[in-house]
Amino acid sequence: MAASAGLSARDVSFAYLGAARASLRHVDLAVAPGEVVLITGASGCGKSTLALALAGLIPSRVHGEVRGQVSFGDRVLTGLPPHEASQLVGLVFQNPNQQLINQTVQSEVAFGPENLALPQPEIAARVDWCLEVTGMAGMRQKAVVTLSGGQKQRTAIAATLAMRPAILVLDEPLSDLDPVGAQEVLATLRRLARAGDTGIVVIEHRVDEVAPWADRVVLMDDGRIVLDQPPRDAWADETPWSRTGVAVPDLIQLGHAVPGAFAAAAPLSVEDAVSVLRGGWFAAGLARAAASRAARDVAAGARLPPGGPVRPAGLPVLSWQGVSVQFGQVCAVDDVTLSVGEGEWTALIGANGSGKSTLISLTVGLGRPASGRVEFRGQPIRPGRVFEHAAQVALLLQAADEMLFAETVRAELEFGTRFRALPPDPVLDVAGAMEFFGFDGLADASPWELSQGGRQRLALAALLVGAPGVLVLDEPTTGQDAHHMQAFLRLLEQVVEHTGLTVITVTHDIRGLASRAARVVVLGEGKVRLDGPARQVFARTAELAKWGVLAPPLARLQVGLLGDDCGEVLLTVGELAAAVGPRPGAATAGVLRS
Amino acid sequence: MMHSLFAQTVIGYLLMFAVPLLLPVLFIKLVGLGGLRELVTYEAKNTPLHTLDPRLKVLYPVAMGVLSILLSWKLMLVVFALTLLPWVWLRPSKQRIRVLLVMVIGPALAGFWSQGMYFLPNPPIHFLYKFPWTVAWLGSPGITSYGMIFGLQQTARVLVTVSTSMLILVSTDVGDFTWAFERFRAPPHFGFALTAALRFLPEMISRTTLVLRAVELRGYDLSRPHWFQLTRWPDYIRRLARCCVLITVPLLIGTLRGTATMAMVADARGFGVSRRRGSLRVHRLTRTDYWGYAILIALVAAALVLNHLHIGARSYG
Repeated sequence: MAASAGLSARDVSFAYLGAARASLRHVDLAVAPGEVVLITGASGCGKSTLALALAGLIPSRVHGEVRGQVSFGDRVLTGLPPHEASQLVGLVFQNPNQQLINQTVQSEVAFGPENLALPQPEIAARVDWCLEVTGMAGMRQKAVVTLSGGQKQRTAIAATLAMRPAILVLDEPLSDLDPVGAQEVLATLRRLARAGDTGIVVIEHRVDEVAPWADRVVLMDDGRIVLDQPPRDAWADETPWSRTGVAVPDLIQLGHAVPGAFAAAAPLSVEDAVSVLRGGWFAAGLARAAASRAARDVAAGARLPPGGPVRPAGLPVLSWQGVSVQFGQVCAVDDVTLSVGEGEWTALIGANGSGKSTLISLTVGLGRPASGRVEFRGQPIRPGRVFEHAAQVALLLQAADEMLFAETVRAELEFGTRFRALPPDPVLDVAGAMEFFGFDGLADASPWELSQGGRQRLALAALLVGAPGVLVLDEPTTGQDAHHMQAFLRLLEQVVEHTGLTVITVTHDIRGLASRAARVVVLGEGKVRLDGPARQVFARTAELAKWGVLAPPLARLQVGLLGDDCGEVLLTVGELAAAVGPRPGAATAGVLRS
Repeated sequence: MMHSLFAQTVIGYLLMFAVPLLLPVLFIKLVGLGGLRELVTYEAKNTPLHTLDPRLKVLYPVAMGVLSILLSWKLMLVVFALTLLPWVWLRPSKQRIRVLLVMVIGPALAGFWSQGMYFLPNPPIHFLYKFPWTVAWLGSPGITSYGMIFGLQQTARVLVTVSTSMLILVSTDVGDFTWAFERFRAPPHFGFALTAALRFLPEMISRTTLVLRAVELRGYDLSRPHWFQLTRWPDYIRRLARCCVLITVPLLIGTLRGTATMAMVADARGFGVSRRRGSLRVHRLTRTDYWGYAILIALVAAALVLNHLHIGARSYG
């Protein structure tokens, strides 16, 4: 381990080569070994640039104009060769696929120590320790290409730790991971934090999951640090958070919306919140509201037990009838019967490998079911005829960048029309899409000049030109900050309102996207496990956990207070605050954001 | 009827073009991009082949290559058969066997067929089928067993290299390659380039599959006509060619982004800072390694002796 001094950035400013504007501006930050610091901020605020600077890769590998300095103890990292800097501060990049160079887990972890020409016993000891602490010891011989996303990220962490840095910087380590993978990585980081001698800097949008065990929360905006506080105090003033558009944890929002709900500052974990609120006026108010809702729903016949297949009222737009898909010995989809009605918004959720993507890929003819039928408006979908079915069902892949092929925004929107005839009454034509998606004035711009959110909008717009009947989105909000996620959700709602499209989203974003859907279908091991309204499905927290899905924090809070048989949960802070009402004798403050 | 000029012409053209048309279909149906990915992916197993001395593994394709250069065409099938023996030791998965068989049988069939038509002594002998003048104007008077056997021997020479290289690729961790190259005093960047290529080739193939899927989702027709829809095939080929241009930009941008990160990671992990690298694995020569070296030396020595005695030696000129 390196010297027991800390990492410090003093008045660091940095502008990329040729950039008109600095990405970092007068940043001051200190991290001690053993400390856990969460850095968050909107996309493009300079977080990743700060990570590169902290790891000593600026300006040696990322060129530009730099001022100020980053140092570890008495060693200046700015300008230090990367292999020397990485033994003081290690950086784990966002995409594990791009940073795993070797073929097996253990050779990847051993790569750094081998390059340093360490003696074999030292290399072996480092590899053993790193694999142990990251929970990868049982997979040391495995080929990297066979690992899941979470396992790859843990391997990347192990490989970085093998250089024995005193500080580990992780740039959005959870962004590409499903809930199970994210929990694996978080457990690894928590283990490291508990061990106490490695400082951890986590750059992440998913504040809810990291904040409970962070020592400090740092908020960045436009290249500057605008807040640096312990988590208990970080959200005392809502102004910087609302100005930057960064998500505030649900429990914090609840504390603001229902003053006096928590005796002191709002707890950051659901477990703490449940123990604080159990038996109090908040739980009593919640129970009263739940009982009255249940009585009303039973009277109206609206409370349906989720689990069995839901039949849409009208003619189904899409239907899977007894569909099974086999990959070698693995049954990816197992006898699924499901139908989606006209204009319905359905979220398909489940752990990785539960069959979600396989199921939706059948709707455009990608893949062939071993048995059963997939139909679009009563007509069978023929495997392999992707070109034909893409005119009926628009499938937006998670990697939206891979769906852009033209030189200009206009050409991108016209791409589909060059190769097939448009229907006579398109809901969106090229001109309409330009206007609706906000590309006016950008017709001749290259798609690669747009922001990541802009490119995703363009890919969506390009798919919709030609007016398909169904829009299927595969993980559309992965890796986006709260602001962009909200903007995308608003856009999607506008699209639905404007076109009346049927929407199916495959998502791990339970808190945002899945909660907006009218209907949630949970897949587990290739079968439909739960199917019903979001409020009822998310009340089944134990069953969801069994299938690798973590219910939203507010749902878990309600189930924790009302019990497993509460039947239905409220999904927004506003609904919850209204249901509970103000604390007896207290005035209600405005809802921070719901 | 069968002896009429028309029938002979039809049979002649079928014989001439059946194999060239069959090979791409065989490749697409049985291998495809996924199969190529399988072909270059290291398979972690605990077989004696996996634990052999990495230097021996690097030398193995070289030694067999020497044999294929020194020995005559007639002995090539024997040399190729020798290279197949270690595969039994490896016990590859069924999927990999299928891919390997296509990759072996495909070129063998192509060599066998083309030489059967175009490798001709003067005058041509051992005709299996003589082409009528309506076919012979393409440069081949017919198919000869003489040419076919020569084609088979010629293909075996190429397949010796394919078989030995593939065996080593699927059974050797690239870290071991790097170690072996270093012991042979090769520049470390040579080992790293191989490491990076073998690690990222499967990724590249996966990305290509994804981008091809995206093109179709955007409404580009990549559907393949049936074999009998002859008029649709030229359009299909034109669409395929155009698609190659379309997918280049996203593939290139994705790759460039990935390589920039990879370069920073390699730097941060200290690649190239020391002339000599350490090694996690303790490389001790075992009895199997000694046997391996002995067999390789014996084979090369035998080939040299045979060559010197003009027995089975390759004739030049």
